[in-house]
Amino acid sequence: METLIQFGITLAVLTFAYLVGSIIERRHFESLREREARHREFPTVSFETLPEGWRVAASGLAVGSTVVSLDYFKRFLAGLRGIVGGRIRSYEPLLDRARREALLRMTEQAVADGYDAIFNVRLETSRLASSRGDGKGTSGVEMLAFGTAVKLVRSP
Amino acid sequence: MPILMSNTETIPGKTIVEFYGVVSGNTVRAKHVGRDIMAGFKNIVGGELKAYTELLSDSRQEAVARMLEQAQSMNANAVVNVRFATSSVAQGAAELFAYGTAVRVQ
Amino acid sequence: MKFKPRAPREGINVSSTHPLREAALLIGGVSAIFATLILVIGWSVDLAVRWIPPELEVHTFGDWAYGLGDPEHEPERLAAEVLAQRLAAHWPEAPYAFQVIVTDHPEANAAALPGGTILVTTGLLRGLQSENELAFVLGHELGHFHGRDHLRGLGRGILYQLTASALFGFSVTAPDVTAFLGNMTARGFDRGQERAADRFGLTLVQARYGHVAGAGGFFERLASGASELDELAAYASTHPASSDRLEDLDDYAAQQGWKRDGELDPWQRSN
Repeated sequence: METLIQFGITLAVLTFAYLVGSIIERRHFESLREREARHREFPTVSFETLPEGWRVAASGLAVGSTVVSLDYFKRFLAGLRGIVGGRIRSYEPLLDRARREALLRMTEQAVADGYDAIFNVRLETSRLASSRGDGKGTSGVEMLAFGTAVKLVRSP
Repeated sequence: MPILMSNTETIPGKTIVEFYGVVSGNTVRAKHVGRDIMAGFKNIVGGELKAYTELLSDSRQEAVARMLEQAQSMNANAVVNVRFATSSVAQGAAELFAYGTAVRVQ
Repeated sequence: MKFKPRAPREGINVSSTHPLREAALLIGGVSAIFATLILVIGWSVDLAVRWIPPELEVHTFGDWAYGLGDPEHEPERLAAEVLAQRLAAHWPEAPYAFQVIVTDHPEANAAALPGGTILVTTGLLRGLQSENELAFVLGHELGHFHGRDHLRGLGRGILYQLTASALFGFSVTAPDVTAFLGNMTARGFDRGQERAADRFGLTLVQARYGHVAGAGGFFERLASGASELDELAAYASTHPASSDRLEDLDDYAAQQGWKRDGELDPWQRSN
């Protein structure tokens, strides 16, 4: 009987995590697409050579980061994957969102400070250690994006 | 026509005429229990963990393939300044991450 | 070089498989793996047990059970042991020299321990109304020895634990999967084994007394919910479905043409 109740609770939490998680995810993707469209004209590149003719008036370091949490349903699927092996498909949208969010934040901060482009963009991922060893505590993924933002001398 | 890649500022011997933006590809893979048990054994006797090497190399190829797919969808013909990052996102699972800038070279 | 703003196509880094479909596949796949493992372990244990000679079992476990009994109940213990040995006399090929130990426990229970030891609790002895009933209980445990059931349960339990720790010690797992598996560790015997032990016990009772009256008395009281139900409840939890067993015993006795009426021998209680 006890097992059944335990099982039932787990199932309920999984369903809840899945439903709410999907809604949150969809909204986030919409927000990402909208903001990316808005900043489409802003160059962010991972190389450092400036195009000819670009003269730099000022520069600074631009940083954007975000921590996205793994919902229970995703972690459950990942756990099962840990037994059979293979691609953990449930994590992919999460990492995609985290990366795009970090890049956008870096961009938005640079735009707000009046910069014109970001060069030498670097991306770093790290996993937040869970507070409990058995994997039941908070766990999330931190995505860091940083680069050199430049303010150009306005040429007509 | 295959997309050129390099981890330098530009494709050696060519010039960049247009640049588009950052492209990336990532995969997350978990190892199955069989590999774990073998790895545990190797921890005692030492030596290359062939199963893992294979696993990560396959993941890397997949990540690069995704990055190139993104570049292709932007109509680029090269990706420069390619970088790789590996991180652990869950116990027993590794994320393989490849990113660079999609450009058009001549 | 010129900057041309372009965006990559959506969804390249995301799989198109719907998460629910992936969940269904994974859960189905993992469950199938576990079910197979459990079956394989069960069969290999059954096979292995046949190869373990009783002499080896007695040699390994022999003296182990002695310390478990409580010494105050020596007269009853001795009487029960004599009864068990008399019953076993009707099983000539019995490979063990059977012993009985009594533990002080208010709940009625009986168990077959490796090495040829039968454990009974004081709770069970209190609930007896005739010697025939005890004879059946002892006979039933003898039936478990006949089927080497106790070894099978032991073997399965060990293998399940080993497999679980081998699998889950090394890799991450969904919490409820571990909990579920933990609860599946083989405890008690399955129905087939129980019925075989019942029939064996009944055969011994018939051989000793010439009839099977009173053998089921214990279970009748269990099934009808007699006043000593609390004590008997523990017995019921490890030996379930008493009314089914009674019916089966009745049918078997009728099949064999055994008399179900007869005089019951009283059970001497020492305290």
